[in-house]
Amino acid sequence: MDASNLSIREINSLFTKKELKPSELYSKVFENAANSEAALHAHLTLFEEENLKKAAESDKRFSNGESTSLLDGIPIAIKDNINIKNYKTTCSSKMLSNYTSPYDATVIEKLKEQNTLFTGKTNLDEFAMGSSTENSAFGLTKNPWNTDYVPGGSSGGSAASVGARSSIAALGSDTGGSIRQPASFCGLVGFKPTYGTVSRFGLVAFASSLDQIGPITKTVDDSRIIFSSISGEDSRDATSVINNQLDIPSDNTATIGVIKELMEDGISDEAKNEVNKVVEILKSKGYKVKEISIPIIKLSISIYYLIAPAECSANLARFDGVRYGLRVDGNTSYEMMENTRAEGFGAEVKRRILLGTYALSAGYYDEYYGKALQARKEMIDEFAKTFKDVDYLISPTTPTQAFKSGEKTSNPLEMYMSDLCTIPANLAGLPAISIPTGLSKDELPLGVQVMSKPLSDNSLLDFSEIIENEVQFDGQPKGWL
Amino acid sequence: MSNEFNIKNIAKLASINLSEEEQDSLSNDLSIILEHVNALSDLKLNSQQQEIFIHPLEKELELQEDEVVESLTHDEAISNAPESKDGKFVVPPSME
Amino acid sequence: MFLKPTIGIETHIELNTNTKMFCRCAVVDTDEPNISLCPTCIGLPGALPVPNKKAIEFITLLALSTGCEITSKGMFHRKNYFYPDLPKNYQISQFDLPVGLNGELEIVIDENKDYIQIERVHMEEDTGKSSHSGSGRIESATSTALDFNRSGVPLVEIVTKPVISSSKQAVAYIEELRQLSIDLNISEGRLEKGNLRFDANISVAPEDSTELGTKVEIKNMNSLRSLERAIDFEIQRQTKALEDGVEIVQETRHWDENKEVTSTMRSKEGSADYRYFSDPDLPNMFLSNEFIKEVETLMPLLPKAQREELMTTGLSLSQSNILSKSDDWIKKLYVKVFDQTKDSVASYNWITGELQGQMRKANIEVLPEWFNDDYLSEIIELIKSNKISFTSAKIILTEILTTETTPSKVAEQKNLFQENDSEKISEMINQIIKENQDIVDRIKSGEDKLVGFLVGQLMKQSNGSVNPGMAKELLLKELEG
Repeated sequence: MDASNLSIREINSLFTKKELKPSELYSKVFENAANSEAALHAHLTLFEEENLKKAAESDKRFSNGESTSLLDGIPIAIKDNINIKNYKTTCSSKMLSNYTSPYDATVIEKLKEQNTLFTGKTNLDEFAMGSSTENSAFGLTKNPWNTDYVPGGSSGGSAASVGARSSIAALGSDTGGSIRQPASFCGLVGFKPTYGTVSRFGLVAFASSLDQIGPITKTVDDSRIIFSSISGEDSRDATSVINNQLDIPSDNTATIGVIKELMEDGISDEAKNEVNKVVEILKSKGYKVKEISIPIIKLSISIYYLIAPAECSANLARFDGVRYGLRVDGNTSYEMMENTRAEGFGAEVKRRILLGTYALSAGYYDEYYGKALQARKEMIDEFAKTFKDVDYLISPTTPTQAFKSGEKTSNPLEMYMSDLCTIPANLAGLPAISIPTGLSKDELPLGVQVMSKPLSDNSLLDFSEIIENEVQFDGQPKGWL
Repeated sequence: MSNEFNIKNIAKLASINLSEEEQDSLSNDLSIILEHVNALSDLKLNSQQQEIFIHPLEKELELQEDEVVESLTHDEAISNAPESKDGKFVVPPSME
Repeated sequence: MFLKPTIGIETHIELNTNTKMFCRCAVVDTDEPNISLCPTCIGLPGALPVPNKKAIEFITLLALSTGCEITSKGMFHRKNYFYPDLPKNYQISQFDLPVGLNGELEIVIDENKDYIQIERVHMEEDTGKSSHSGSGRIESATSTALDFNRSGVPLVEIVTKPVISSSKQAVAYIEELRQLSIDLNISEGRLEKGNLRFDANISVAPEDSTELGTKVEIKNMNSLRSLERAIDFEIQRQTKALEDGVEIVQETRHWDENKEVTSTMRSKEGSADYRYFSDPDLPNMFLSNEFIKEVETLMPLLPKAQREELMTTGLSLSQSNILSKSDDWIKKLYVKVFDQTKDSVASYNWITGELQGQMRKANIEVLPEWFNDDYLSEIIELIKSNKISFTSAKIILTEILTTETTPSKVAEQKNLFQENDSEKISEMINQIIKENQDIVDRIKSGEDKLVGFLVGQLMKQSNGSVNPGMAKELLLKELEG
């Protein structure tokens, strides 16, 4: 029995029954890493030594019957834009290749309290900007289903790791789909919680009003367990909220809406088929399903690609060679900063910083950023209205299956367009999840996205689990062998 | 919406020293993106501008008690400094 | 050519809260660099701001005390610019929804009152401190060293409307603002420590002109003296330029304390584009009516009201103004002494004149513990009742400041009680006349001035204890007779 294929609850049961030891699981997981990292490059760093100790401590707790947490002894991969004290946080950027964090992110503190193990830090698109992990300064990550293809992004490393079982689950971050899209590309569950329910303290900010940390897992239940452990209001994050969950029905008294605008042009037939497949399942179980139109969704890309770059242009201003990170010299400190940022940032990051700077600049604010804010408010209002009629919204997670490395890098807009389905949830702060539902004709995973209103995360997870149980997506990728 | 922008000015504002090639390619990229973003200009909107703060759950700012919480030691704070001397961060001379 | 100056002043006040504005690091006053820091105030990746309640209370108090309208729904904005002492390369500030708007401050110059309109009062954070090594002038520095202890300290910015018309007014304004912030207990108001910093915007235009001239910003005035001189210099410089037909350039100029001139700073081209946008890390700040009412309970007697009260005791506006700007203990002492003596002039003169003068001379900063408030009243009464002379009173004061004793004890020990008995005085006069027959003859032959000499001799012989008025009178009588 390969325990690295099991869910968290199943593993915990084995630990508790003393049929498996955490150190044994840990060995298996690191064996998987040894077998897959060369081909997939999911991790940037592996915490092998530290974990030997931690796993041994976990062994002791279980053998004494003293373990209190479902996550005790579970190895989880952490995206390298989340700070772990005394370890490097590189954000896959030359800018931070030598930066060691002196503090833990809140989510890391919470997981440490649960005695979770961390496998190491995973690869991402530089500063979380991208949809393929091709923007990493430290090499590509490959899709565990087929190494010719990208794992998605920006949390590509986290997804690849869970796919290759070099971790039991992973944390990623999602600003425009960066958890859901790689999860979909890699046949996994990816969950972006309601904005504010998970503290952003210690997550390197990309776009402050859009970023959320969330789990990438093999099952919905695993995401539920992790969400429950990392969520909660944090006094160190002024945008975090008390996680007072709203209960909405997940049984067939719930009404389902299929988003018309995300089932039109720009979406592949295969992706649409997955949605239809799920709709049929739900109908057969007695759910009411209707078509919902939210026209402003068509402007998502435009709105997002003004707000996110604007915020990131300010969030990334702190990287200047003064207090940490890369420094390239100059005669004056201005020169030093300009040179450092020229060398430290990759092309995509520069693109977004410049776009954001322009959108905020004198004379252009009203036209660009100001307009985008207003449009965003309208979208939030539209969704609120919609959720009076339906409980859950369904759409494809991505327009297509995973694409090949290099396929979309020539035209920035093309890459951006692949975020069409996922962006609305970030703009409106909605909880959103991607569930794997099938394989494309190229044998690559396809996923379906479900969204619900803010603070209904638990109900969303319950509903998604019902779909998961019906679909029975079975997939252990072996694309790197 | 106007798409006239001076890549050099923007790079100056963003404090990034772009090479000639970068100036050209990024200028091009921005044009493409901004053209797409133009779609927003047709949108008729209701809401007031500067008043908006987009927190989806309309959270109010919570003010914190004025009590000291110890954080980084001096060594931790300066540990990543590219250059330091006598406990201070050192940089090339900064002009006013 | 007479050109009317128009001046506006921007003041920054450091609040004396325990912790910084957006983190809970202690506000420290030390030479040891970089000892009160956290991820937030040095701009580490992943750090977030959380606001200081006390700072908001303090700024609200200041805004209320100047009659401002309080913005009930406010927000914070990011002011974006690159500088090594600004860790995030943006400053969290307030743009168009500041805490206070449209207030005014009463100022006093000699016996005249005036009102300075205040445009706005807003909250922001301070930067770190730069020290340049090399020859001392920024232009020839070889490196810059940074201390971030001050980074993040709460700053209140107060901007006046362009209504100040002279350097004298400017100084009176700063003096009043400084005293106000001390009385409100929100700042120590020490200019030399940088608790209060100010910049001035100056323009000149013909008296009858409806438009204002080109304004020039003046920085680096570190004292009231430099404020006054810099403004005078700049007015002169602009006036001369216009007289010579030279256009005034809109720019920022630096006040050189040594050369006593303003000079062009190595300025950036054009005016800075700060690209203000609302800070997505800080939700809207609602200041409720309850909050405002609570803050109002902290309102002390404001300097303006103190002056009004003091004037009811009989003091002039100018005297009341001086007292209102004195240390607390002086204000309290005046009230006590006036209460007992009902003599505003004597109370005022003794406290602000002799007492403070002697303390300064003897380097005494605080009244000794044995110094009873009643002592001054006692001295005043003794003079009034002719029991001691003014000179003796000064001697008594010197003694009680340095020795633990009482006024009457000193008077006794030093034999300072005045001789008011005309018989006894006459006796002494006869003695003096006998001893100075030659002087007496000269007086009798017309040298009236020498009367003073004889009075002096009398005072000397009696150890100053003779009532000088009486002595002169009786002496003259004797000489005539």
